[in-house]
This record gives sequence, C-alpha cells and structure tokens, in this order.
Amino acid sequence: MTSVDTSPPGDERWGDEQRARERELLDTLSTSGEGSATFTAARDELITMHLPLVHHIARRYRDRGENYDDLVQVGTIGLISAIDRFEIERGLEFSTFATPTIVGEIKRHFRDRTTTIRLPRRLQELRGPIYTATEDLTGELHRSPTVREIADRVGVSPEDVLEVLEAQAAYSAKSLDDDGDEERGGVASTLGFEDPGMEEVEYRESLRPLLDKLPERERQIIMMRFFKNMSQSEIAEQVGISQMHVSRLLARALGELREGLTAD
Amino acid sequence: MTNAVTVSFPAQTQYVSLARTMAAAMAVRADLPIDQLEDLRLAVDEAAAQLVLDAVVGSEMRCVFVEALGSLRIEVRGMTTSGVVPATNTFGWTVLTALVDDVTASVESGEVCLTLHVKRHEPVSA
Repeated sequence: MTSVDTSPPGDERWGDEQRARERELLDTLSTSGEGSATFTAARDELITMHLPLVHHIARRYRDRGENYDDLVQVGTIGLISAIDRFEIERGLEFSTFATPTIVGEIKRHFRDRTTTIRLPRRLQELRGPIYTATEDLTGELHRSPTVREIADRVGVSPEDVLEVLEAQAAYSAKSLDDDGDEERGGVASTLGFEDPGMEEVEYRESLRPLLDKLPERERQIIMMRFFKNMSQSEIAEQVGISQMHVSRLLARALGELREGLTAD
Repeated sequence: MTNAVTVSFPAQTQYVSLARTMAAAMAVRADLPIDQLEDLRLAVDEAAAQLVLDAVVGSEMRCVFVEALGSLRIEVRGMTTSGVVPATNTFGWTVLTALVDDVTASVESGEVCLTLHVKRHEPVSA
C-alpha cells in the first residue's frame, strides 16, 4: 500500500507525516469515548485536515449556479458524516470512503434546489449577494440580521430580499423515500431519541418511525430546534451550514413529518 | 400604535401558503431578524395546517396580524369539526411553542383561535 498515493485529491502535498497523523486521529476516534474532549479534538482536527478535499470536490460543481460557499458547507456535512461513520477496522483509506459521501451531499443539495420556486433572473442574481450579506451581517452583529439590514447592505428593496428568502425555503413536501440510504446512520447516536423533551410528546410512538425516515441531518436539525430549543442561527453555527439552509431543511422536514403524521 | 391586517381564505391546504407569505411580509414590517422571520413562517404554517386538517368543509380561515413596535401577534382562526382547542401534548404543539415566544389556544363563538406572539429577541439599531 505504501506506493499508492492516498492524498486527498486536491491536496498533493500530503506527506507521510500527515497520513500518519490521519491514522492516529482515526484511531483516537475509534477508541475514545464519543463526546470526550479527546474525541472532539480529534474529530475537529480531522475535519480541518480534509477541508481541502471538500473544496476540491465542490469546485467540480461550482459552475452550476449554486453558491460555492454553500457547496463547501454541504460538502463539509458529508465529510463530518463520513468521519462519524468511518470504521477503521475495515481497512479502507479515509479519503476513498469520504469522497462518495461528500459528493452525495452536494448532489443532494442540487436536488433540493431544483424543487424550490423558480426566481426571475434578476432575483436569481441577487441570491449570492444576499447570502454573502447575511453571513457578513450575522458575523458583524452577532445575531441574525433583519430583512431591512440585508436590503440596505445589498442595495435592493426589502421586498426583493424577502422574495429571494421565500424562494430559498422549500415548502413542497417531498416523498420520504426520495433520499438514498447512504445518508443515514452514524451520527444518529450523537442525537439519540432519548432527549427529555420528547417524552412529553404524545406522538412519540408515531413520530419516531417518521423521524427515522428523515435524512440524518434533517432529523438532527429537528431535534436541535424543537427539543433542544436552539435557534436557527445556533443550529447553523453548530452544524456548519448557513441559517438559510437550516430554515430550508426545517421547512422540508416539518412538511414530511406532518404528511406522515396525518397519513394514517 | 398598532396596525391589524386580516387575510381570509378557504380552509384548504393549498391556501395555507398565503398565510405563510403574509406572515413573512408582516415580520419584515416588525423588523424581525430573519431567523425569527423563518420561524414565524413555519409557525403560521403549522397553526394553519392544524386548523385546516380539522376544518369544517366549505369554511373559511382568517389570519389576523397585529403589528406593534418590535412585536407581532398573529391569530389563526377557523371553524373546526371538533370545535375544541388542540391538544397540547402533540408534536405540532411542541413545534409551535418552540417557534414563537408564546402560543395560546381558545374557542370564541364557535371558532378555534390559535394566537401566536413573537417579540424581536434583540434590539435592532435604527
């Protein structure tokens, strides 16, 4: 195996040292307790280490009308889920294992996008600037900006901003079997269904199987928002995606849950 | 000073999006940050969906939006077949309480009314 170049594509500078470090970190993950400080540190370092891989993959999709930063964000979700599901005993190279998951997340993002409202070209072109302004303002103000603030920053009307935001949110309830199985598992244990809040909910018997059917990330976001009472912005920060994306996923997941709960 | 805006529509699923759109527009007027705006959109969607599911056939629903400084009160009203307030131990109710600052349910002259309150969480500079 030593002659095979296992560098993540896009980063040819990986030397033996880094490869050894990767091994070491993956070992740490499999041996230390989930949630422990060592575990978290190893996980974080692995994430940072493989960001070039995410960038490399995201670049392949950059010319398809999606915001590059968003692609990197969803790709990073794929990376994290790959890290969480990686089984060192299976002897696979991590980058080989992670690549399909990252690609899967990015493709999924495109599928999500195609279900949303078609915007007129003028507004379509505002998506990037609005996204950037929102992220910048969130950083500057340490809170979610208002529509007016975004509009002022971009130099358009609040109505335009609202329209773009509305188009971002995918409210159309999609069928539950739309998503590939490859996105489930792994992280499930990090946000199990034993959250205290859920015991109060009468639906828990019928809700659980439905939550199980949701893609991992949507389930995670649902738990964070409704059972841990985190704000959309807090979730965005923790999961590493934009607040707009959190809101889009929440809307979709709720639609699916509602459809499922009322189906019988 | 307060301003009320009322929208009424047939109590059918395909009209719920109007309530959502209106909620977002009113949230802009109340200068809510966009995470609260998106939460409100979901909350109105959920409240309206709850009433629509049990709506008396052929009835209308009303959404009343009352804007005050940095806050918004939204009443979602409709005639339901059960005519009682929704149970509070459901996932739907959990969702509502998580999305807005306060939710109350009441029955007034045969109409079920869900009242949502949202306050701007943090001060916004002028």
